[in-house]
Amino acid sequence: MIKVAVSGINAVDNPGPGLGIIKGLRQGKIPVAPIGLAYDAMEPGIYLDHLVERAYLMPYPSEGEAPFLNRLLYIKEKEGLEVVIPALDAELPLFIDLESRLSAYGIKSFLPTKEQFRLRAKDRLQEVARRIGIKIPQTLAVTSIKELEEALSELSFPVMIKGLFYKALKAYTPAEAQQYFYSIAAEWGYPVLVQEVVEGEEVNVVGVGDGEGGHFGLLAIKKLWITSLGKIWTGVTITHSGLLKAAEDFVRAYAWRGAFELEVIAQDEDLYLVEINPRFPAWIYFAVGVGINLPERLLAAALGQEPERSWDYPAGKLYIRFTDDLVTELEVFQHMVTRGER
Amino acid sequence: MKLNRLAISEEGFIFDPETGNSYTVNETGLKVLKALRAGQSPSEIAEALSEEFEISVPEALRDVEEFLESLKRFRLWEES
Amino acid sequence: MKKPYQKPTIVKLQIGTLREQKSALAQRVRFEIDGVPVKDLLQKFGSPLFVFSEKRLREQFRYAKRLFETHYPRVEFSWSYKTNYLDAICRIFHQEGATAEVVSEFEYEKARRLGVPGEKIIFNGPYKPRTILKKAVEEGARIHVDSMDEILDLEEIAKELERKISIGIRLNLDTGIYPRWDRFGFNLESGEALQVVQRIAAGGQLEIVGLHCHQGTFILEPAAYGRAAEKLLGFAQKLEEAFGWTIEYLDLGGGFPSRNRLKGLYLPPEVAVPPLSEYAESIAKALLSNLNSRDYPLLILESGRALVDEAGFLITTVQAVKRLPDGRRAYVLDAGVNLLFTAFWYHFRVDLGEEVLGPPEPSVLYGPLCMNIDVVEEAVNLPPLSRGVPLVLSPVGAYNVTQWMQFITYRPRVILITEKGEAEVIREAETLEDLVRLERVPAHLR
Ligand SMILES: Cc1ncc(COP(=O)(O)O)c(C=O)c1O
Repeated sequence: MIKVAVSGINAVDNPGPGLGIIKGLRQGKIPVAPIGLAYDAMEPGIYLDHLVERAYLMPYPSEGEAPFLNRLLYIKEKEGLEVVIPALDAELPLFIDLESRLSAYGIKSFLPTKEQFRLRAKDRLQEVARRIGIKIPQTLAVTSIKELEEALSELSFPVMIKGLFYKALKAYTPAEAQQYFYSIAAEWGYPVLVQEVVEGEEVNVVGVGDGEGGHFGLLAIKKLWITSLGKIWTGVTITHSGLLKAAEDFVRAYAWRGAFELEVIAQDEDLYLVEINPRFPAWIYFAVGVGINLPERLLAAALGQEPERSWDYPAGKLYIRFTDDLVTELEVFQHMVTRGER
Repeated sequence: MKLNRLAISEEGFIFDPETGNSYTVNETGLKVLKALRAGQSPSEIAEALSEEFEISVPEALRDVEEFLESLKRFRLWEES
Repeated sequence: MKKPYQKPTIVKLQIGTLREQKSALAQRVRFEIDGVPVKDLLQKFGSPLFVFSEKRLREQFRYAKRLFETHYPRVEFSWSYKTNYLDAICRIFHQEGATAEVVSEFEYEKARRLGVPGEKIIFNGPYKPRTILKKAVEEGARIHVDSMDEILDLEEIAKELERKISIGIRLNLDTGIYPRWDRFGFNLESGEALQVVQRIAAGGQLEIVGLHCHQGTFILEPAAYGRAAEKLLGFAQKLEEAFGWTIEYLDLGGGFPSRNRLKGLYLPPEVAVPPLSEYAESIAKALLSNLNSRDYPLLILESGRALVDEAGFLITTVQAVKRLPDGRRAYVLDAGVNLLFTAFWYHFRVDLGEEVLGPPEPSVLYGPLCMNIDVVEEAVNLPPLSRGVPLVLSPVGAYNVTQWMQFITYRPRVILITEKGEAEVIREAETLEDLVRLERVPAHLR
């Protein structure tokens, strides 16, 4: 049994990828005992013991590296933790920074490098897109209302107003654009990005890079139905050759290591890169379901084994997310609160 | 008394079956809560704390009163 | 033997706050600074108390110096007085070989008083009064001009002294850093800098021997320094070709971050703040790959914060315990934003000066001022504290003991823990006499 810790087990209306990853691991050939890492005692995954064998509360990454490391070492001591698969944006920089130290303690992972992680900044997209031969929506970095006005005069409404790492709001009027500029600047700082809205199909590709320019499989999809929070509810597999080639070029150009997702808009023959996520997306189970068990392959890579690389999949497979209910005892909650684990 | 309705675990987890609220208490908090439930006065509780722990009676009394303030804020205690 | 006591507490459980808290709390105690117990320091010197560590100051300076010298052959560190101009602190840096970087008459005079010769002083800043400017010229200081008016002043001084004056000029440039500090010096990209230089050359009284820029403070992007170095070097080469001057040095200013927690940054400083080595690499790479067989210009760094911040601590004491109407726990400390000007921008690390048991709760830390803005921390997770518990705030070594204000109360002692582990006062606590000494009462009010 490989003891593998997975975070992002917050399967709520804006779900983390954790449970999808765990379902993939459980369906793989490597026997696993999944350990859930949670940032709140109410994260649903804690209560799903058919998926999550043991659950531990974590300190926030913002509270410092030492508490975080100590907590992982405690879990290692209690559970014999061997691998960790982090799945949340906020914790990734810590795991990346700690990777070699954790590895020295016998906790393996398979993550992008610091330099690769930095590519997700919106002001780096241009350079990435150019290198892999696709476009990006025209994007202007602004730091003042004056620059915002100049940018707006070059673009036509609606426009996207975006933070460097997080948050994207669609503005239909100059007043809205200004309001979003202020709110994003206040929350995420400067520069704020003003981006043209490109009409087209929103398509995504997920994969795991091998760190040497190759990969352990790719899957491209189109989201058919998204929730009001912008989260996928149904989707379908596609075999858009341009998109898959762009993903392969991306992996090759940067020797990407670990999980990634590219968010792209396809407009006829043109592809526009909108976002790079240096981790699995919440719909990662889709890949498992069509026979490309990326979580398992990532686990194998972390363990130093040679994962499978085949990634034939049919277009037209459907993904349906659904809600479920569970009734359980307050006791689990009590244990999480008083002991921090169950 | 409202305290009587609370489900109190030895781990310091408190559940209020009427409101659905949960609370945690630490070791001394648990002692104070139980003593209040048993009808002891703040000064009796302070003395008991001072017996058992490294603390003077006046300091303990101030802390018990602060604890009572918290209970009031959570609407678990009303002035009799 | 009685058991160790914890204040009795009851905490209502609220979804969204139920993370693991003990690991972080376990890290949050600091019984001593460089081996000297916090308790002893308070007993001997009172509360609040600023504490500096000589060991940390010297180690950090040596580390930075060695680091840059292994990347580039000619480096000079110039101690940024504004960051911390206590005599003892300046002397430590000067002993380690730093020159002085000053931005005002007061700082210039303070550096001279400490025995720093003129030629080891860099004189920056947007306003240099005429008399001190002339004195600095006479004493051979490196003057970095900020405006056209200052150039006119210097040309006059050159005439008075009947000699040519060597100067540096401050440039502002686009290195991708926001906000851009473009009010200082002359803009490079717009062509303003070149025009000014032409004007200087035409005047014939001044000659440019150095280029200076300072992008801002707490800059988290090492690559920005590479861009600055490249642009300065390019401009230097242009000037040398066009006017036959020799640009002896490039001064990249300060701005390297300390491991402090800038507000608005989510990640802890261990992760968010790039190591100094990345800055050194970025600068050295830009210089070495663009030199074109030219001699190595001297690289000057005016790093302040990165050298002194983490060597400074403030010990303060809980003076009152409160519950706010919204239920939050709050403490009144004997030190507030009067002493901690940088609290407006940074979340300090808050360590307990003695062990306190009990469950942590988000708490507000207020200072002693009668103003609503006197907040040291909005929400720091602390166990239940009683009156008298000491807290150790850090890092506070940069800008606080210069920007602190004397408002309604006295400023406290500052001590230095020497390398031998002895605590020495380096600034006495203010007294009523100190504060009223400069006041005069007109006769009719006596
Ligand atoms: C001209 C100049 N040099 C150096 C510094 C020191 O900056 P830091 O403390 O960020 O290194 C400053 C700070 O404002 C400055 O204005």
